Formats: sequence, structure tokens, C-alpha cells
Amino acid sequence: MSRLTHDEFFTKLADIFNSRKAKAHGAVLLTQKRLTFDQTTTPPPDSTDPLADLLHPTQPLPLLIRATNGKGKADRAAKVKLATVVQPDELAGFYARYAEVCKAGMAALKPRDRTKRKAKAKKRKGGPVLA
Amino acid sequence: MPYYAKSEDWLHQSSLLLQARPSTTRITTRYHLKPARRTPKPNNNNKKSEDPTQAAPPPPPPPPPQQDGGETKPPRGHLVLKTYDPASGVTLKYKTSKAAEVTRLVQMLGTLGRRMAGVAVAEGEGEEGQGGEGMVGVVEGGEVGGGGSGSGVQTPVGGGGGGGKELPLLQQQQQGGGGGKGKKKKGKR
Repeated sequence: MSRLTHDEFFTKLADIFNSRKAKAHGAVLLTQKRLTFDQTTTPPPDSTDPLADLLHPTQPLPLLIRATNGKGKADRAAKVKLATVVQPDELAGFYARYAEVCKAGMAALKPRDRTKRKAKAKKRKGGPVLA
Repeated sequence: MPYYAKSEDWLHQSSLLLQARPSTTRITTRYHLKPARRTPKPNNNNKKSEDPTQAAPPPPPPPPPQQDGGETKPPRGHLVLKTYDPASGVTLKYKTSKAAEVTRLVQMLGTLGRRMAGVAVAEGEGEEGQGGEGMVGVVEGGEVGGGGSGSGVQTPVGGGGGGGKELPLLQQQQQGGGGGKGKKKKGKR
């Protein structure tokens, strides 16, 4: 699984979201974890600090962001897997775009419901006057 | 495998887990669509409304499905955030179906991501740090007020004291604002 640049990642992620919209069921899975594989910046663990490589990296480590369209073994051919690496200094910019893409893609979530609040407000206004 | 009721709680616990196990913990976001659970009620209402209009009985049946097709609620989406650490088996979850939360949740992912990456400053820490500094500042200010002698020292420490005092003032203002709203409502009554 080759890693994509951020631009490719976001366009393909948007594609996954769009295909969900068309199908009206299914899932999108997004994962983030620290990229520790093949990193040389971690100090080697020793007897005094056996978790040195896990807990105290000498430098900030990049993040690995993955996305799939939730297809399992049964549907391997249809599975789409994306992965990208975010360097520590790119985090803010990446998450800003990430939020945009997610917000745009997750259109089936409940929109903000203002009707109830209005009704409550009316009740509040009306209630005390009656009492 | 708890679901947290508040996203803030999930964020807090997840950041604690990340602090303990920054290398193995991963955060999965699952967005899934389900067909709307409530199928539109059978065409009773439609038929009742259509019967008075006395439309020809055979033609209506075909339209209702189409109408229902239009009326059926769009599939409902759900968003589940899961923090999982395979080493300890800890799983923390938060579930929502509100679109209004997406942006905030992705920001939380970003906050946790910074912690995950090992970047020093995270927002939660920053807030806590400010609070702590504020407290320290107040204490220092009090001490300086008690001593109140050194001329060269006063300016920087006094600035610290001022910085410390600003936060409580802000909080008081916020609280005062909230109280004011309540009072206004009472006044209207």
C-alpha cells in the first residue's frame, strides 16, 4: 500500500464519501496512529528505560492516516485503501483540510435542529406570562 | 468498552491513554450509513387524503410508492470515534449522529494527533498550563504586594501578577454575563 500525498489523499477520500452517498449504506473508516515503523529518531530502549523508544521520542514523529471504505475480506476486490503520512509540522494544515472533507462527506448526519429550540423559547416566553 | 456521553470526556480519557501509550494507541473514526429505521407509515394517510379527492382508485397505488420514495427519510449517518490501544486492550468510544459536531470532533482528532506525534503543545495542556500560570501569577502578585519594595523587580513580576489576575477577571466576567442573562429573564417575568 503506497502512501499518497495529501492532495491525492483528500481527493480520494472525498470520492469514498461520495460513493457512500450514492449507495446510501456502508461505512467509511479513518484511522490515525503514530508512524513508528522504520523510524531512526527513537532512542533505543535500555535496561534503565525499557520504554524509551515508545514514550520519549527525541523528535516529534509523523502520523500515519489511513482510510478505507469499510469492505472486508468478503469484498476484497471492492476495497479501497488510502494512506498518507503527516509530518509534525504539517499537522495543523492537514487537520483543517481533513475537517472540511469530513464535514462535506458526512452529509447524512443530523443537521442542527432549530425547530425544538424555537418551540422551547416560545414556551418560556409564554409560560411565565400565563403564570 | 465504554461509550462516553460527552465528547469532552472522550477527548480527556483518550489523551490520558495517549500519554500512557503514545506509540501503540490508534484512533479510528467510523462513519456509517444505515437505511432509515422508520419506514414511512403505510399509505393510510395518503389514502385518506386522496379518498376525499376521489381520485380513481387504481391509479393512486402506483403514486404512493413514488411519493414514499420521495418522503422516505434519507439514510441516517452515525459517527463513532474509537481510541484503541492493542497493547493494553483499552477501548474508548464516542458516538454521535449530529453534523454540528463533526468539525469539533476533527479538531479533537487534531489535538490528539499532536499528542500522538509527540509535538509538545496540545490545546488541553495549554489551557491547563495557562490556568496553572494564572494561579502562580496570583500568588506571586500577592507576595509582591506583601513585600512591595524592589523597584527593578516589580515591573516583570507585576506583569506576571497582572497576567495572573486577568484570567480570574475574565472568568468573573463570563460568570457575571451568565448571571446577567438569568437576571434579565427574571426581570422579563
